Amino acid sequence: MVILIYFAVVLLFLIWLALIYNGLVSTRNDVQNAWKQIDVQLKRRHDLIPNLIATVKGAMEFEQDTLEKVISARAKAVSANTAASKAESENLLTQALGKLFAVMENYPALKSNQNVMQLQEELTSTENRISFARQLYNDLVANYRTKLQVFPNNVISSFFNFRTEEYFGAEEADRAVPGVNLSLRK
Amino acid sequence: MPLTFIDIERQKNWRIWLFFLVLLFLYLVLTAFVTVAFLPFFWQTGPRIWVFAGMVALMVSGIHFWFSAYDTSRTVVRSLDARPPDPQDDVHKMLMNVMQEIHVVTGNRRTIQCVVIPSFSMNALSAADLRGEAVIGITEGLLSRLTRPQLEAVIAHEAHHILSGDCLETTVAASLFGVYSSAMEKLTDTSNGRSFNAAPFFMSWSLLKLSYLLSMFISREREYRADAAAVRMTRDPIALAETLYLLSRSWRGAGFIGSGFEMLCIMNPQATALDETEGFWADLFSTHPPLRKRMDILLKMAQVNIAELEAKAGKAATVNAQNPPVPRYYAMSPRRQWQGPFTPAELAALPWLSPLTWITQGKDRPVERASKEQCINDIFLSRLSELERPLSNVTCPCCRQPLTTESYEGTQVFQCRFCAGILVESDRIPRIIVRTNRETPCSERIVSLAKTVMQQNQLRQLRYLKSVDSAKAAVPLLACPKCGNPMMRGFYSQAHMIEVDRCSFCGITWFDQDELVMLQCLIENRILPEITSPNYIGQSTH
Repeated sequence: MVILIYFAVVLLFLIWLALIYNGLVSTRNDVQNAWKQIDVQLKRRHDLIPNLIATVKGAMEFEQDTLEKVISARAKAVSANTAASKAESENLLTQALGKLFAVMENYPALKSNQNVMQLQEELTSTENRISFARQLYNDLVANYRTKLQVFPNNVISSFFNFRTEEYFGAEEADRAVPGVNLSLRK
Repeated sequence: MPLTFIDIERQKNWRIWLFFLVLLFLYLVLTAFVTVAFLPFFWQTGPRIWVFAGMVALMVSGIHFWFSAYDTSRTVVRSLDARPPDPQDDVHKMLMNVMQEIHVVTGNRRTIQCVVIPSFSMNALSAADLRGEAVIGITEGLLSRLTRPQLEAVIAHEAHHILSGDCLETTVAASLFGVYSSAMEKLTDTSNGRSFNAAPFFMSWSLLKLSYLLSMFISREREYRADAAAVRMTRDPIALAETLYLLSRSWRGAGFIGSGFEMLCIMNPQATALDETEGFWADLFSTHPPLRKRMDILLKMAQVNIAELEAKAGKAATVNAQNPPVPRYYAMSPRRQWQGPFTPAELAALPWLSPLTWITQGKDRPVERASKEQCINDIFLSRLSELERPLSNVTCPCCRQPLTTESYEGTQVFQCRFCAGILVESDRIPRIIVRTNRETPCSERIVSLAKTVMQQNQLRQLRYLKSVDSAKAAVPLLACPKCGNPMMRGFYSQAHMIEVDRCSFCGITWFDQDELVMLQCLIENRILPEITSPNYIGQSTH
């Protein structure tokens, strides 16, 4: 009789352990999935850029250096391997694209070009998706970290060696406020 | 408020059970009434009949509940004649992209469909049903007038309603009686003037009252939560504030969106005075909070970014203290970034500064339009004086800057250089309209805009004939530039349905951008309203 109770208690304990472990595993998989989703959006951006360059090259023949910067930044981003170099090259690409869009404002002929406007909309949407994917990743990392650190999960997670994940942080340069250039030279 | 999007707790949908109980109670009462009135001998057979009546009521209410709430998304889409967006159309493509972005940020936890409602009114709604489908609808009128950040804010707001589960409750409440009420309403319209008008009218009236009963359970607070979630997602509170303000000044679809479905919309299609008040009865019966309060909350949120700028400015200020201290302002650029702090002299050098730019003096100070600050107004005055046009002594009701005196069709009018609005003395308008031999004929854009506005207004007029005048009280009115009283907003005439603001004390009319040209165009081209029959369920005007 006592043995039955003993077995029941042990069984319940094991079930509880399994539930927590499964919860941690699925949360960790969510986090890893979200990280890869960011890559999916980044690739979408890489694929759209050659199209954009080809379409605007004719109209913007005096802006060669801006176009060159975008092309080289994209090449670097595509070929980046480690996480750190990827993050850096993607940031450079974002900045180069931003400059290109700012310069495109000076060419009203481009605004009436249907293809250019559609491509610009697609790129805007892609930039949004990249930032939303990063937002989702950070949300999931926060969720995962909370699950790892609360009691009693922290005991089980350290026993099974669950590693914590890092947030996707903004570079200090990104956080700097864009200074307003009031001089007459553009 | 939950910390992240992925753990928005599905609200315990206890209210849905409550609606079922209310429905059951109503059917019990109805069954009792029927047995007492028509089958009095049942009373003598004892209590068993009550059990029987109870079971009948339970079955009927179960069937009603299931049929109403199971497939509501499709019913709503069908009754509004809404279609999926067209990928060949640039504006619809933008909407599809925004929907994709919302799915990305919510991790694809729920697939939400999106449809476009073919109405020129401006509103958006969301519906979810017991089957598990969810849909966000947006009218063509709103879609065409929103910028991208504003569209993102609206869709994020609606998506939060769906994800948090309160859309399901609202849809169930609306569908139990609302679907039949709006069907009855359309039946009333078709049968207007015929002999059997009384029955559908009475039924639609009573179903509507029942649906208002259920709306007591729908809290106003859910709109605040959805606003906050939209800001969390898009990080742009100003865009949502601008959208709400835009919605408040326009036709929100009263008469197009059936009377039972109001609670599903972002702003109540019937602009009632009840919505704009607070207090016990308003909290109980109104499903939408006051606009002013929603905007105040959003504008306060907009000041959060300023804290960072202030911290940086604070460091610099200790280095070079000026005396006397000059007020500094932060301004929102057209790229939706706060910039600053600027002294008034620096503000004057900004090319994009206009009276409608949002500014603030710091994170604890209110966010307002630039025209509210006197020292910034001086900047605009100096810009106007550079133009070398004669300035009049009347000011623009939107921008608060002096109007310049211009000659239009040979007559003196006053024009605002910032928003292109025109002030005309009312008795001069017929003159302007009659002078139809203009050098520049109406551009295509103006002609199509005028046709659209006419059609939209005529459709709205058909519905508004029945609605209460207090609906107008809730629309924010502009103040007359001469006497300061609120100007009445209404159609120029029954034949020419362009909306203008008029002050009857001073005898002046205010036209917003393009409105005067559209009026001339309507008359020149003899554009007549084309609506022959309003949109009914099952009928299409296309």
